[in-house]
Amino acid sequence: MNSVDLNSYITFGYLGWIIAYLITALSGRSAEAVKRLLFWILAILFLAHTASIGLRWAESYWMGIGHAPLSNLYESLIFFGWTIVLALIIVWWKFHIDAVVFVGMPIAFIVMASTFLIDSQIRPLIPALQSNWLVAHVFTCFLGYAGFAVSFVAAILLLLVRSWPDFFSFLPRKAILDEVVYRSVLVGFPLLSVGIITGAAWADHAWGAYWSWDPKETWSLITWMVYAVFLHARLTRGWSGGRTAILSVIGFAAVMFTYFGVNYLPGLHSYF
Amino acid sequence: MKKDTRSLGPDKADSGPRPSVITRVFTSVRTTITLLFLLAGCAIIGTVVPQGEIPDLHGLAGHSFVNRLIVILDLNNVYRSWWFTTLLTLLAFNIIGCLLKRMPTILADWKGSHKKSSFSLSFTDPRSTDDLKPILESSLKGVLKKSPQSLEMENASILRWEKQKIYLLGFPLIHVAIIIILIGGLIGVFFGFRGHVQIKVNESSSSFALLSTGEVKALPFTIAVDAFTLTRYPTGEPKEFRSDVRLLAEGKEQLKGSIRVNHPITYQGISLFQSDYRVVGISRINIAVTGADGKTEILSLNPMEPFSLPGTDTMVKIRGFDPGSSQRGAGVEIVVTEKDQNPVTLRFYEKDAQPVKVGNHKLAFKGYEPTYATGLQVGYDPGSRIVWLGSIMLILGFIFTLFTNIQRLQVELSPAKNGTKITVSGRSKRMRKEFRESVENSVQMALKGS
Repeated sequence: MNSVDLNSYITFGYLGWIIAYLITALSGRSAEAVKRLLFWILAILFLAHTASIGLRWAESYWMGIGHAPLSNLYESLIFFGWTIVLALIIVWWKFHIDAVVFVGMPIAFIVMASTFLIDSQIRPLIPALQSNWLVAHVFTCFLGYAGFAVSFVAAILLLLVRSWPDFFSFLPRKAILDEVVYRSVLVGFPLLSVGIITGAAWADHAWGAYWSWDPKETWSLITWMVYAVFLHARLTRGWSGGRTAILSVIGFAAVMFTYFGVNYLPGLHSYF
Repeated sequence: MKKDTRSLGPDKADSGPRPSVITRVFTSVRTTITLLFLLAGCAIIGTVVPQGEIPDLHGLAGHSFVNRLIVILDLNNVYRSWWFTTLLTLLAFNIIGCLLKRMPTILADWKGSHKKSSFSLSFTDPRSTDDLKPILESSLKGVLKKSPQSLEMENASILRWEKQKIYLLGFPLIHVAIIIILIGGLIGVFFGFRGHVQIKVNESSSSFALLSTGEVKALPFTIAVDAFTLTRYPTGEPKEFRSDVRLLAEGKEQLKGSIRVNHPITYQGISLFQSDYRVVGISRINIAVTGADGKTEILSLNPMEPFSLPGTDTMVKIRGFDPGSSQRGAGVEIVVTEKDQNPVTLRFYEKDAQPVKVGNHKLAFKGYEPTYATGLQVGYDPGSRIVWLGSIMLILGFIFTLFTNIQRLQVELSPAKNGTKITVSGRSKRMRKEFRESVENSVQMALKGS
């Protein structure tokens, strides 16, 4: 079994997990033990996901073109899925709210499933990507994105609870959701900052300029500014609840545009 | 949930005269938020309107309102436009304003003279102060994992803990870092340059063209290119672009090395980056010659020199080369002169199914070795070190803010009518509720337990 097959199994594993969770949630209140079991199943799926990334890394070495599996869209999507699941497991473990995990998992599933549509071959590293900065840059950026994804999910839930409190009474309390919205941005923001800095250091090495206003760079800065506004509004202007939730949604839209949308604009990041 | 009241808040009551409007605007976080939104919006324009292109104002479409607007507002050069620069400058002043406003509070906090506490608890106990002090000390040591400072006042005994004061550095570090990064960027814009030079292999150049204007500038040294190598993976993708260069100054070789993508070389602060390459000529042409005996020999030919087919008097001269403009691939035009006959011109291509015949010989085109010109990016940026300094400060600031937490705790024991009055006041920047709870539990346990 190669890593591409393994990724397919994991993707279906995540889908199965979502369905199992849905059935458990609908079946009533006595589901706590089952949910604990589901938590461990998710942890095992996550370990398999980790192993699959490791396997792909090893495969590239067996092919004689060894490099970290972060070199093209396929590999970055698999890694993005991994960071989202990691962030969701942390939220579950720290805040004990499974609604965020349940709503977040379909995002991880869609990210993973979208890899079925694109070229999954391991390719040799083109000269522009042959740099030690690659791993540091991609790693920090995607971990930051995962933090923002979790914040986004919690923000959507918070907005639902705010708008239709009676209908969504089964969701976690607003205060906890608000805390998740804020804390995930608090983790994501420094990671994105480090991601931008490592990207700038790499650009300085490869292109001779740490900042070229390339669309991807610009959009990452726009994303950074939105979350900077989020943090300042919350910490000094006392914003919370709905208003910061809306900022979190805007921020995540900027993240998605930085990741995918920019590819439709001309620029230097064409290989991602 | 608990409502956060942070000391960074702008709503702190200032004593003294009311500051002017300008001061208030520049020290307000509301201004920061507005500026960040504006900058983000303007940055979006720059990713939508093509940058660096001048819209045609004289053509048919030129009269359109949008094109005029683009030119008037510098929308084709957003990031260097006066209004974007103005916004960035305003942001810098705003950050400085906010820093200056908050520095006294942070300094007071650092010195400990800032008496703000997030909670205060009172207890009374029948025992004496001297009895209680060691009990409370050993119990609270477990919470703060540190020994306290002990003070004896006239009619009170005080235990004081202070942990991870370094947290207070986080906020100023992050904001000073951003200003430093902006200054570094500005220095780069004014005193740095970026350019490009294309040099043929075995040639040299001591000038380059600026990327921004195309203006030709002189370098303080000469770049001599000895070789350009393009290596490919077995799959055909490029593996390495490498230019072997020597840098000459004052008639001497100063530096010799190779420039690869991601591996620039730097001399006198000026860095040279592998940027692109171009095929500018042919060094060898390979032709397979099959003789009358069926043996095939591949001749590697210099395009300039005529040659004779092996074992004959027939002279062949390469007259033209086609790098592959047609479906037939790259090809060559040769002039064949058989002894005592008029010259004949022949053309043949890489993808031809049949070789051409010249007398008893068959010729087939087998490819060529190009000569390259390498494209080097020339960069000089005296501001980049400042930017990296700012970046390191920014990361340190985040580490202090996220991974440290200032905690202060004071236990005041004063004799009261029937025993001792205990006042516990504490302060924690993060995890306030948890800190308060653990302190409260610990004090209660200590008082009850013994």
